[in-house]
Amino acid sequence: MKLSKCFKHAFNMVIHSKLRSWLTIIGIVIGVASVIAITSLGAGMQQSLESQMSGLGSDLLTITPGYSKGGSMFRNRGGDSGSSTATEEEILLDRTDVQALKGISDIAFIETEVGGKVDVSFLGKMGSVSLTGVDQKVWSDVTTAVIAEGRLLDSADQNVVVIGGNLASSFFDQPLGINKMFTIEGSAFRVVGVLDDTSTRIYMPIQMTYQLLEDKDTDIYDSIILKVKDEEMLDETILKIEKKLKISRHVTDKDRDFSISSSKQMMETRMEMMGSVSLFLTAIAAVSLIVGAVGIANTMFTSVLEKTKEIGIMKAIGAKNRDILSIFLFNAALIGLVGGLIGVLCGVGVSSMMPMLMGSMPMSRGGSITLVTLNSVMLALGVSVAVGIIAGFIPAYNGSKLKPVDALRYE
Amino acid sequence: MVRKITGRIPLLEFENAWKIYKMGQINVPALKGISLKIYKGDFVAIIGQSGCGKSTLMNLAGCLDLPTKGKVFLKSHDISTLPESDLATMRGQTIGFIFQQYNLIPNMTAFENVMLPLEFLEYDDDDAAERTRKIMKLVSLEDKMHHLPSQLSGGQQQRVSIARCLASDPEIIFADEPTGALDSSTGIEILETLKRLWKEEGKTIIMVTHDLKLAKYAHTVIELKDGEIVNTQHKKK
Ligand SMILES: Nc1ncnc2c1ncn2[C@@H]1O[C@H](COP(=O)(O)OP(=O)(O)O)[C@@H](O)[C@H]1O
Ligand SMILES: [Mg+2]
Repeated sequence: MKLSKCFKHAFNMVIHSKLRSWLTIIGIVIGVASVIAITSLGAGMQQSLESQMSGLGSDLLTITPGYSKGGSMFRNRGGDSGSSTATEEEILLDRTDVQALKGISDIAFIETEVGGKVDVSFLGKMGSVSLTGVDQKVWSDVTTAVIAEGRLLDSADQNVVVIGGNLASSFFDQPLGINKMFTIEGSAFRVVGVLDDTSTRIYMPIQMTYQLLEDKDTDIYDSIILKVKDEEMLDETILKIEKKLKISRHVTDKDRDFSISSSKQMMETRMEMMGSVSLFLTAIAAVSLIVGAVGIANTMFTSVLEKTKEIGIMKAIGAKNRDILSIFLFNAALIGLVGGLIGVLCGVGVSSMMPMLMGSMPMSRGGSITLVTLNSVMLALGVSVAVGIIAGFIPAYNGSKLKPVDALRYE
Repeated sequence: MVRKITGRIPLLEFENAWKIYKMGQINVPALKGISLKIYKGDFVAIIGQSGCGKSTLMNLAGCLDLPTKGKVFLKSHDISTLPESDLATMRGQTIGFIFQQYNLIPNMTAFENVMLPLEFLEYDDDDAAERTRKIMKLVSLEDKMHHLPSQLSGGQQQRVSIARCLASDPEIIFADEPTGALDSSTGIEILETLKRLWKEEGKTIIMVTHDLKLAKYAHTVIELKDGEIVNTQHKKK
């Protein structure tokens, strides 16, 4: 029998199949749908991380006081459970550090920042938000913030601020737009720029910040932001900075009291973590596919048993073993394919609903957090057909090997 | 293996053929050393009591089963030495089966059932459909082509199964109690059809029956008892 005819008969078998086959198909549907949903979530997050990575400036380094041996991402992993090495004396970053850094030729810009919580009010509505004091002379050179309206700070600025998108649009009862005045810790400030983000942060000249934040002393910094000249040389530059700071701060590897983190490193660590999480979830989804495969095998065994008499009839009128094998394999593959197709549809549906289910994710800046790729769809369909064929093989083979007399006698 | 040709060649030949079924430890001999020759154009009735081995003999002759001992030749081929796919082709091309229980595929229409053997023989689609229509007409079922077996009477179903067995224009037709499930007048109708095929189309027919009245249609009558041939009668032309 021609393969096209075997396919036709297999197709008819699926059409006429009982409820049981459809239940089997549901098994595959669930497996495929979860694989699609999870891989698309993974791919979407990967993509948004990547776009953030290019936006976040992979040529930036941040120096902060304090150091834990476990590394900057996992502060509690170190042997001494992350406690800073020097606790008696407060660790600070100050002008000497900036002076030391100025001696390194690989650094293009050095910017100093200080931050804290401040009370704000606008038209009678009050609240508390984060404030970052920035060195406005170089801030525009190192920041990754994108302006939506107005401008960034410049060197002549004093009582003006740049604010995050949400502080402007929704934090107060009334929108806080460009050139509006509002109160920070009792003093009036004018908005000169609104950022294209969803934060409620305020950026202002660092000298003003020292006046507002009582616990911060002038020329003491919470962090120093560096922009390197050559991104390719990032790792070497980090080593140079470490060396220089250790000398200027009179510390060794043992009592090191500062950390250097690069957004690139942080992103890479995050990517890695996400990669392994989505791999783990995919593995779980794959398990449900395996369960689906067992279901197909079970259905095929029953189906071959049910069709034993028909196999006998077909053999009596000229069916070869190969014909019977092909018909049943096609049947199993079709069950897999139908399950796969419905599964892909469900998976795409679930992943398009995912942003709603998960609320607004900090990771997604506007764009979708899921990404259904053609590759994953093709892979899922291929896998489900393969699963069908593999699961159906033994029953189909057994059926094809039946002796015509025995099959005909079967009731 | 092809036999040496000596004189008239039998279409079907049994040479001391045994069929022994194993039921656990016990051996049940269903055929005990059958030897017979059936020539082209014969109409053979195999009679005998229930359980005497008629169906077993039929299954061997029709390549549905192989002898435990001895040899069965179909068109001079030793069926025990033929590969599976050749046996299948033989069943599809040379042999047509008519069963007591019709054995139609329930999910297929009459038309599809009749066309099925042609699909196994890889006929061209148009040829197969054309031939199927012609044969449906021959058994007067042209108005029932798209009915499912369950929508047909017993006699009609048996006519579909006759049509199916004729589809590939076989040389031999095996009919195992073809009227067993039918009332006597429908049974006679079916036998008249077989007789017509024998007389007009020159088919060789081998029919199992336990009804002596029906055996009268045959030209040769072979009587089986406990797995052995006890009597062979040839009607005078
Ligand atoms: N598959 C089988 N396994 C065991 N015994 C069988 C089998 N088929 C037939 N027999 C036995 O072989 C004998 C002949 O059976 P069968 O050829 O069907 O007789 P008939 O068709 O003449 O009624 C019976 O005794 C039957 O029980
Ligand atoms: Mg019988």
